[in-house]
Amino acid sequence: MDRLNLIRLIRRPIWRLGRPAIVGASLVFVFVAIAFAAGPDTVQGPGAAPDCFKPWGKDTKFYQWKKKPGPYRIALDNGFIGNTWRIQMIKTAKAYAEQPEVKAKLKEFKVISTGEDLPAQIAAANNLIDAGYDAVIVNALNPAAFAPVAKKAKKAGVVLLSFDNVIESTDNIVINVDQVELGRLAARWLLKEVKTPGGKLLEVRGPSGNSVDRDRHTGFHEVLGKSGKKFEVVEVIGKWDDGTAQKATADAIAVHKKFDGIYVQGGSTGTVRALLDSKHPMIPISGETENGFRKLCAQNAAKGLHCSSAGTGPAQVAVTIKAAIAALEGEKVPQSISLPASYVEYPNIKEGSDFYPALSDNFFVGNSFPGCKIGLSAEEIMGKSEANQ
Amino acid sequence: MTAVTGPRAQDARYWLASHRGPILAAALFLAMFAVFVTEHPAGLSGNVVNTAANKGALLALVAVAQTIPVLTAGLDLSVGSVFVMTNCLASTVVTGTPREVGLGVALVVVVGVACGALNGLVVVVGRLQPIIATLATGAMYQGIALWLRPAPGGEIDEDFADFVTGSLGDVIPFSIVVLIAAVVVIWVPYRRSVLGRAAYAIGSSEQAAYMSGVPIARAKFLAYVLAGLFAALAGLLLTCVTYSGEANALLGGSYTLSSIAAVVVGGTSLYGGSGGAIGTIFGAFVLRTIGDLLFVFDIDPLSQPLFLGVVLLISVSLGSFRLLRVKKRLDLYR
Repeated sequence: MDRLNLIRLIRRPIWRLGRPAIVGASLVFVFVAIAFAAGPDTVQGPGAAPDCFKPWGKDTKFYQWKKKPGPYRIALDNGFIGNTWRIQMIKTAKAYAEQPEVKAKLKEFKVISTGEDLPAQIAAANNLIDAGYDAVIVNALNPAAFAPVAKKAKKAGVVLLSFDNVIESTDNIVINVDQVELGRLAARWLLKEVKTPGGKLLEVRGPSGNSVDRDRHTGFHEVLGKSGKKFEVVEVIGKWDDGTAQKATADAIAVHKKFDGIYVQGGSTGTVRALLDSKHPMIPISGETENGFRKLCAQNAAKGLHCSSAGTGPAQVAVTIKAAIAALEGEKVPQSISLPASYVEYPNIKEGSDFYPALSDNFFVGNSFPGCKIGLSAEEIMGKSEANQ
Repeated sequence: MTAVTGPRAQDARYWLASHRGPILAAALFLAMFAVFVTEHPAGLSGNVVNTAANKGALLALVAVAQTIPVLTAGLDLSVGSVFVMTNCLASTVVTGTPREVGLGVALVVVVGVACGALNGLVVVVGRLQPIIATLATGAMYQGIALWLRPAPGGEIDEDFADFVTGSLGDVIPFSIVVLIAAVVVIWVPYRRSVLGRAAYAIGSSEQAAYMSGVPIARAKFLAYVLAGLFAALAGLLLTCVTYSGEANALLGGSYTLSSIAAVVVGGTSLYGGSGGAIGTIFGAFVLRTIGDLLFVFDIDPLSQPLFLGVVLLISVSLGSFRLLRVKKRLDLYR
């Protein structure tokens, strides 16, 4: 494949420029030299900021681009923007780009949201590469469809990164969340909190067929299975939505009367409300990072409601921007980065840092990545509009 | 009629009047694209044109597929599903040796034609309303797409894909060549054939066409078959753009709706009987360039759907100016 690429690279300028062989040959030479300079070198680890850019696995490669002089032009190519997560993600990206030490390194930070139209998102990525951005960050509509974009970015010497919905290609840096580990984390905490040797647990799952739902579910059951304790797990589907999760939880409590613990993947605020409404005795709940969930947990902690709250919120975009800048500065960066989870558990859930009474229930509070020295306050994030710039 | 000076001037006026839709759409597209290119940091480069062409050609092919049933006063709600299904199929079969790639392309086209033929049969023989019939078959094709490719993925011969999505001599996008070839080789002969003219006659007045001995059944059938063919070409192009396939119902749905919008912007009447593929192609490019304007103008993401809707409404209104000049008001309610 590489040889074919090379042949194509060599042939193109000759074709375009015609006969004069010397001119052609020298241009070919320059062209090939540029082409080789464009892509990153594969290097040995460890990379820069290992606490932040943790390689995904032992065989993860490290990439190193030639250092580019700053300040940089970075663009974010987002797909759909229909929910609070995405809106907060864009606000977070802008807030992070405005932080003094980041701002000093950026000449321009542009955001584009194309909606759910895949060819439009691909075209936007191509346009950003052609427009000469130094790095392009993608939250992809489809993991498989961006291989041509990755190829083009590599050729053009543009650093391509993807997060959340990542691009399945080794020609880009991916910021991955270990969703299986999040499931394990919930199970470990519940095992610690539920004192009985067995019992009944409620698992409120996400949208069916989604890989995140599958992974969290797998991790959760893996730890439960190995614990040696006998738990019956009742599964309901909450679709990561407060309303749906609330109804599913209420129905489950009505049918099964008593649970010993709950794991809710998302829509955690709704699940806690259903628990409170049903007058069910307080049981430990492991949930996501919604502000509303943590508010309810803090209010009811005195009554015996214990919570753990884990997730990787929209702030992962900030880690991605940090990785983009590191790559442009010529640092060694793992091709696949495992994002640290943002985590807090009873009794450490504190007002003003872990949740914000004044903000809406839908705000995602997991915005601190201490390993990356990224800690965005709610005020910094919510002060930013979601406008493209 | 006093201004008429001679037969030639009259011809020109008739020509202008009958091509008002395509001309307006083309003018609109050129104006929008000019703004886009001037605002784009890279300007009018081969790459920028290539990106715009690939994106536009995708919708243009689906919209041409929509145009032909619309001319017969029908509607094909399954074009988006055929587009997605052939994408999933192409991501499986268009790979391997050059011979296998060729056979794969042929298979994809044949499957598209077969989908169109099924639509045609249901509409003509089953005598169901096209809108309902194709809604049902579209759901079937979407189901087949999901069965072919439960998760996004697959592959396509990369050399073939790069050639199709590339530019000839770095200047002329190959997707535009495909589009022009489709017009010259399929659309123009069809438009001039008996069955093509019959499609227009059916759209104008099915009863009158029937009384005049127009082959109604065959003309309608062929219209849906051609729709399937064009949708399959679009599915093939999508596979080349993405190197993969995905049974994405949302994508199919949005392309079906956008194709109807492109038909209207291109000056084809949804009541059938007037318009054509060339206007539709420009209509599709107009719609795609609206999205590009978002790229250069930095519009608030939450306002983008509103912006798109307003521009679309203006574009459609431009195509309806003829209504102001209609002498017999009752014609408005045809």
